[in-house]
Amino acid sequence: MTLLRQPERAATSALPAPRARSTYRWSAWGFTAPGVLIVAVLLYLPFLWTTYLSFTRYNGLGAPEWLGLANYEQMFSDPALLTSLRNTALWVVGTIVVPVGLGLLIAVLTYDMRFGSWFRLPFLIPYAISGVAVGIIWSFVLQTDGALSQALSFLGLPGSDSRWLLDAPLNTFVMIGAAAWQASGVNALLFVIGLQSIPKEPVEAARVDGASGVRLFRSILWPMLRPLTTVVIGLSIVASLKTFDIVWVMTEGGPGRSSETLAVTMYRETFVRTEYGLGAAISVFLTVVTLIASITYLRRQLSERRAV
Amino acid sequence: MTRFVRPAFLGLLGLVWLTPIYLIVVNASRLPSEYSSRSVWKPAFGPDLWQNMTDAWERADLSASALSTAIYSVLGPLIAVLIGAAVGFAIVALRLPHGFFWFVLVFGGTIFPLQMILMPLFVGYAETGLYNTRLGLILVYTVIAVPFSAFVMRNFFSGIARHVFEAAVVDGATTWRIFWRIYLPMSASALVAIFILQATFIWNDLLLGLTLSQSSDVRPLMPALTALQSTYGGSAMPTVLAGGLLVSLPTVVLFLATQRIFSRGLALGQF
Repeated sequence: MTLLRQPERAATSALPAPRARSTYRWSAWGFTAPGVLIVAVLLYLPFLWTTYLSFTRYNGLGAPEWLGLANYEQMFSDPALLTSLRNTALWVVGTIVVPVGLGLLIAVLTYDMRFGSWFRLPFLIPYAISGVAVGIIWSFVLQTDGALSQALSFLGLPGSDSRWLLDAPLNTFVMIGAAAWQASGVNALLFVIGLQSIPKEPVEAARVDGASGVRLFRSILWPMLRPLTTVVIGLSIVASLKTFDIVWVMTEGGPGRSSETLAVTMYRETFVRTEYGLGAAISVFLTVVTLIASITYLRRQLSERRAV
Repeated sequence: MTRFVRPAFLGLLGLVWLTPIYLIVVNASRLPSEYSSRSVWKPAFGPDLWQNMTDAWERADLSASALSTAIYSVLGPLIAVLIGAAVGFAIVALRLPHGFFWFVLVFGGTIFPLQMILMPLFVGYAETGLYNTRLGLILVYTVIAVPFSAFVMRNFFSGIARHVFEAAVVDGATTWRIFWRIYLPMSASALVAIFILQATFIWNDLLLGLTLSQSSDVRPLMPALTALQSTYGGSAMPTVLAGGLLVSLPTVVLFLATQRIFSRGLALGQF
């Protein structure tokens, strides 16, 4: 936080300082109060309450019963919750590899190309579609003996007899694919913004020296994109930790509880099984992991103000 | 040779990307009676698509949901952008004491996953009578958009020269007038960018709507669509697909029409 730049501007002030300061203090409070109040009441108060409840057993009736760490112990011993933890880990890894990788590939191939934005368009359309609609589209494509299976058998490729959404862990993999279909385009867009802001000179110099293709990418573009890559990966991790919509629509976490992610498990424990305490513990765990994953890019967000 | 490889590869990958959309459009264009899981790849397009959309609209009672969702997606970001801009204005222009602390406090609201607020809001809303009301949903959609707005607007206002503020003070303008008549109009582009990003997010939200509403006139579109899918997913696939297509159209059109502003919004928030 101390990294924030605070430009010295007060020196040029033309105002009679003392009087102005007290006048503005009150009106500054007036402008800040609505934002602070609404965030405090509707976000921070619930945060605190959820954190407290994660140490209790509570079903919405009567008073919460103090349990200490029991909910957290259950999280790491109950088979359904362990599956959910494993699936969430798969989501995080899969999301870093597929949509970030594909997004980078599309960006590098199109950023300096004629009609590049037209070539990117097909990848961007899914981004504007909701997670629910993406789920509906892909549950249709991935029906057993559905569109994908028919295409595979038509092309003579293996896998046409897969039960895409019914077998674990295959269902988690294909849902990661569906999420990648949605997210790759926006990652490409972010990388394009980054690539277009790279200074031309070093790239031209490397080209003159005969570097091109993979070599140019590895020695010039990739190192210069590093800060942006950190942000994109950080955001992808955070988004994948919260995966809910696609899973809820495509499998509801099933069959059994085989394809649940932590966000789905939290919802089920809280609102289906009214285990508020356990649901709260899952939320707190998600928050801690999210915070750790966000630190890298938050430091960046809070430390410098970049020109846009 | 390599000049053709790149466009060919990208074009092919783009076609693969559009395939699911093709499948949705053709299968939403068949009447449920003509639909067969054996012929999903066969081309189709025509008035039956409209018929299926109308059908989905009526069966899932989407008209009430669509109206509610439109209200949420307009009012939520609109109020949030103003509240966020006010916070940014107080910190940057009025030099709120300990401004950075208050900024981090407001911005911090965006770091935690929504899961942290779901259950307390559910219980709190039930006790205060906000559960399953449009007011309750407008409130929650506003608050989740406030941190991002405050973040972007603080950054944006830092770029406005100090003498703009001082000149207005010399002219005798009140702080409210400076905010409303000078700072807000100067930052119209940023306000629009935040508004579009947040409106899209709210339009597409499932989790908050699912948790905090129930009846078809309050419930947003996405929970209504999941209900349609779980009820008719087996028997009337084309209807469900048409419904999915229908509710996606507004955000896709908005996104394509404002792509430039959209990516500017992403860059403003540093994503």
